[in-house]
Amino acid sequence: MVTARFAEYVERDSRNHGMNLRFSFPPFPVVGMSQAVLRKYVEGNDPVTGKPLMQEVMDALTKPLTEQEKNAVRAPKPARQRMLTQDTEENLQRLFLENGWTDGLPIVLPTEERVAEMLTGTSHDPDEAVGLMTITTLQEKMAYTVEKVAINAVMAGARPEHLPVILAIASTQEPSMPSSTTSFARMVIVNGPIRDEIGMNAGVGALSPFNFANSAIGRAWTMMSINLADAKLGDTFMGSQGNNLNYNNMCCAENEEKSIWEPFHVQKGFKADESVVSLFRGWSVINSMGAANCRRPANEETAIMLGAFAGLRSAATLIMDPLVAKGLKDQGFGTKQDVARWLSEHVKMPAGQYWGADIIYSFIAPLARQGIEPYASWSKLPDDELVTPFHDPSQINIVIVGGETNPLWLTTDFLYTQSASVDKWRPKGGIRRDARPMRMPADDGCSDGTCGLPS
Amino acid sequence: MLQTEQVYKVLDPRGQSTGVFEPASMAPRLDALDGKTVYLVDVGFGGGYEFLEEMTGWFSRNMPAVRTILRRKKGNMFLDDPNLWAEIKEKGHAVIFAVGG
Repeated sequence: MVTARFAEYVERDSRNHGMNLRFSFPPFPVVGMSQAVLRKYVEGNDPVTGKPLMQEVMDALTKPLTEQEKNAVRAPKPARQRMLTQDTEENLQRLFLENGWTDGLPIVLPTEERVAEMLTGTSHDPDEAVGLMTITTLQEKMAYTVEKVAINAVMAGARPEHLPVILAIASTQEPSMPSSTTSFARMVIVNGPIRDEIGMNAGVGALSPFNFANSAIGRAWTMMSINLADAKLGDTFMGSQGNNLNYNNMCCAENEEKSIWEPFHVQKGFKADESVVSLFRGWSVINSMGAANCRRPANEETAIMLGAFAGLRSAATLIMDPLVAKGLKDQGFGTKQDVARWLSEHVKMPAGQYWGADIIYSFIAPLARQGIEPYASWSKLPDDELVTPFHDPSQINIVIVGGETNPLWLTTDFLYTQSASVDKWRPKGGIRRDARPMRMPADDGCSDGTCGLPS
Repeated sequence: MLQTEQVYKVLDPRGQSTGVFEPASMAPRLDALDGKTVYLVDVGFGGGYEFLEEMTGWFSRNMPAVRTILRRKKGNMFLDDPNLWAEIKEKGHAVIFAVGG
């Protein structure tokens, strides 16, 4: 049984799996409804068919199987042709837009010449398989090659110098827009020498649209999610409100030069001179709203902000201006891990608040029922007893981003998912830059060391 | 957009279908439910267990000859629970999974 909102979705999904499952559809939503409403659902009609719901359930269990149901066969889909139809630019822009192959903005058309040029950005064979992707959890995955990634990179406006980073993202096989009704956000952070080689911004305005590489790479992840992971609105993508972070996925670089702490990729086992992408997933971003480590220390302010989140899987990611890190170090936090440890112990909320979050009910309550600690013990506490939802410091991440115009930071509920090497995708002769690389105006206000706290 | 007659050949940006799933046929249906054991399995989406509590009540009121067993699948909605599937095969005659979405 599946709520009526997902009738088309599951029927198509089962067909894709070569199965003819018998579904019945109660009204939507089920979550949050009173027992009285749920009883009406059970005793009422299936809104999709208009028939009594329980009669459908009886029929599903007792009506003899059809021949098709007895002998499931999955009709193979024909392989897509490499080239699309030949047409004018105006018609092709319309073709891509109306088929849902873009993010709604004009694209760079992936002509054979442009894709061939993009492929000079890597030494890998265009036909080399990169991975499989879907924005859903269990639906059929789509296969993609180096060339398919290059096509989407062209569409996003990227240049060959960006391709190794885009291929690294593609190699994770993670889409930027999961199907979920809850409307996930994603973030991609770039570490290592590639940041400077392609002119990424880790400083002032790194998360705003002032840098070509940040913009093009972030957009390319969205393009790949649409075209390689089969994101279709209302079909596979079900985010009720959507998330405007999906446009660029917070693509930026870590400000390793200004950071007093270990770079993020080094924390994850890479060497400092390796170039790496790291991916994060969550929903929410809270700006420190002018809190500047002045009236209240940043760690205490962050603890208050984290109290707004459910604490799913203990996951949080802080995106800190370098000045915040320096301030915290002055307060005795020698490492990123020290901050994470402090937060894991000091962010507290009543047990009733914790278990009252729907996402905790769905994902953590089953762990409590299995006896997994600390959740099993927390589930037995009175509602007003305090728990520490961010109890696992290894799940609390810190990334240093910003240009030291003010000691501010972002607090997110983002879970770190994985990192991937950029270097394996580099071309043999080195990063393939244009003769005159495209660069937007950069801020160099602090390059002479005249601003910021003394280090 | 500028009107131009120049034409372009472009590449298809979409991934290739993989067909990685093996199709599965459905289990035979029951002739009737009276005297049978039907498992009602909450797959883990919010409100599913409460919905199935109401279904259990419906069976009690309307089909008391049907024995229902209400269970939660282990883990969240995306995880497998082979032990429960084995139990249902051994002790049950039918199963209703609910509520997706």
